[in-house]
Amino acid sequence: MLEPARSEAGTARLAPIALSLLIVAAVTALLFVAGPLLDLDHAAFGYLIPVIIAATRWGVMPAIVSGLAGLAASAFFFYPPIYDIRVYNPAHIADLILFVVVAVVTGQLANRVREHVKAARQREEEMKALYFFSRRLAVASSPADIHAAIQDHVSTITGCRVALFAAGVGHSPPQASPQWPHMPDAIQLAIVDLLDGRSDGHEAPLLDRKTGASWLIRTLSQRNALVAIEAIELGRVSRQSIDAIRRRVDAALAEATATLERIDVAHALGEARVRSEAEMLREALIGSVSHELRTPLASILGSTSVLAQAPGVVQDARLASLVDVIRSETERLNNDIRNLLDASRISSAGVQAHLAWVEPPDIVNAALERMRRGLEAHRIDARLAEDLPLVRVDAVLVEQALSQIIDNAAKYSPPGTTIAIAARAVDATVEIAVSDQGPGLTAEEHPQVFERFYRGPRHRTAVKGSGLGLWIAHAFIVASGGQLQVASKGAGQGTTLTVSLPAPAPTHGNAPEYSDE
Amino acid sequence: MSRPALIVLVIDDEVQIRRFLRAGFELEAFTVLEAATGNEGIRAATLKPVDLVIVDLELPDMDGAEIVERLRSWSKVPIIVLSVRSSEDEKVRLLELGADDYVVKPFGMAELLARARAALRRQVPGQRGDPVVRAGALTIDLAARTVSIDGRPVSLSPKEYRLLQVLAQHAGNVVTHLHLLREVWGNAHSDDAHYLRIFVRKLRQKIEKDPTQPRILTTELGVGYRLSVDGG
Repeated sequence: MLEPARSEAGTARLAPIALSLLIVAAVTALLFVAGPLLDLDHAAFGYLIPVIIAATRWGVMPAIVSGLAGLAASAFFFYPPIYDIRVYNPAHIADLILFVVVAVVTGQLANRVREHVKAARQREEEMKALYFFSRRLAVASSPADIHAAIQDHVSTITGCRVALFAAGVGHSPPQASPQWPHMPDAIQLAIVDLLDGRSDGHEAPLLDRKTGASWLIRTLSQRNALVAIEAIELGRVSRQSIDAIRRRVDAALAEATATLERIDVAHALGEARVRSEAEMLREALIGSVSHELRTPLASILGSTSVLAQAPGVVQDARLASLVDVIRSETERLNNDIRNLLDASRISSAGVQAHLAWVEPPDIVNAALERMRRGLEAHRIDARLAEDLPLVRVDAVLVEQALSQIIDNAAKYSPPGTTIAIAARAVDATVEIAVSDQGPGLTAEEHPQVFERFYRGPRHRTAVKGSGLGLWIAHAFIVASGGQLQVASKGAGQGTTLTVSLPAPAPTHGNAPEYSDE
Repeated sequence: MSRPALIVLVIDDEVQIRRFLRAGFELEAFTVLEAATGNEGIRAATLKPVDLVIVDLELPDMDGAEIVERLRSWSKVPIIVLSVRSSEDEKVRLLELGADDYVVKPFGMAELLARARAALRRQVPGQRGDPVVRAGALTIDLAARTVSIDGRPVSLSPKEYRLLQVLAQHAGNVVTHLHLLREVWGNAHSDDAHYLRIFVRKLRQKIEKDPTQPRILTTELGVGYRLSVDGG
């Protein structure tokens, strides 16, 4: 498997030399044809062309080969005696010496330019890799992300395959690393020893006898804390070249370590760890809250409803009003918990919509019915156009969204004002607009209303709420294939939220049953 | 008004839920039996004839569907399911298995009683020798096959009448889309049929005062329709 690679490398070295010789041959042919016509006296200088080309493109070795070939060809073809390598004329000898000097100088100059270009290009690549690396670190949401980023980065800059093992409590054993199924046992042992602090590292490369591949084991630490261990596969290399490779890899690693130091990987790791733990805790909390709180709430609300019917309570207005307090506050708690659950459902699993044909007024009526108690202080003006087309949505999701929107309108507009609900057909959609006469939206508030936990700074203290309602509504409507838009003429001028729902033309594949007989 | 006390069996693992259900039903002069598990509940139902079963969907030993299926294998007793939100598919499945209706937790006693009474009424047909169903101003005479609003006859197409008839036979209880399609069109393939919605709309235009705010033929989103009768 390694043999072809080596011969490929050989071809890569030989190709420029062959090409240089080819150019020399071409120049020779050209001079040979043009020579008699132009009466060339100093033909040797024509060979500066292949020398410069070889030096700029392929480096020193091909340039030397072209120079020597040019020297030989001019001696053989153009300086008398022709077709003889020997040259007797002192002027011609001076010519050839001058050619060699000029060839060496231009060759070196051209080569230096080439090296500069190469270095610049490499720097650019490194910058790119570095930029890419730091961007990955910035968005990493878990230590595993960061370790993967380091692994890829080191792999890029060393040009070798790299396996990275995170240090820390409860580190996973190397064989568990999925991207590295066939790591030699000796290397794994060395890594485990390092991770467990039984050894301090291995300066020299380790040789795996089975495959003949050499490995470098390197530690990556920051502020004296071990961050990770890298196993770098150098491949099958000869004893002579291994030192050179090791130096190159170590230099690249030193660079990487400096980079890590600079962008404070330890800190990023800590942050990512906290973020992912917080996220898990949050999900678990919301999950258990849902069950643990909702069950007693169902008992409280149910018991309250029985109490409200009990003769002793019905006959006593004070008791009845207390029962009503329990009921309404429990309902509010229930709504808050429902919102939390919906929010976690949206952010964790996403929302699955079950699309079906629905009468738009059915959705509006269900939302109004659910919100009935909260709307007692407002006038509701529902204008639903007759003969609206059926919409194809998840009715339950859209109803919940609309309930949130109506609830929001009621919460933010003063008692006694009107909440207008209008539904009309627009192209292949049905638009349901909910308008209130509340405080409206300022230009700054406008783009933020659908953001999670956003609460307008003007009402944060005056109105209770979690800032989840419109965010949930938006997510539910989008999941149903609809759109939610907000419009306000400005502060104090009310807000209109418009839900547009898809109303595609029905496919009357079931047309026979459509008839009324 | 001296009728024999009806017996209701409450199957729920939450003791507090059972307590308030007992109180609520006893206030309405029911006799209450309690069971904390599905097996216990099924045993109780076989030992003594019960008039009504209230069953929670989430029991420790078996799921709601299994209880409904096992009860239905030998009994026509009305079954009301206590369900949770966002499980419309599950509700439809239980209704198809033979449950009569459902309420969503948290629920109020009045709502549960309304569902229960509707299911009980259907279970004892002709108790008052009356094949007439009344919903608001609407009167449906199932024997004479006539429909009237405030005494004025309403003319319905055969399919419209059939639709109303199926709903009236389950008056007060929800009827799933699938059930209606099967009963009216003999077609159980598409539970999402566009034409069912269209027929409901036509029917509402004939029987509702404001078809955009129906009071008689109401919708259970994602589940089906209900003929809302007075007093549950």
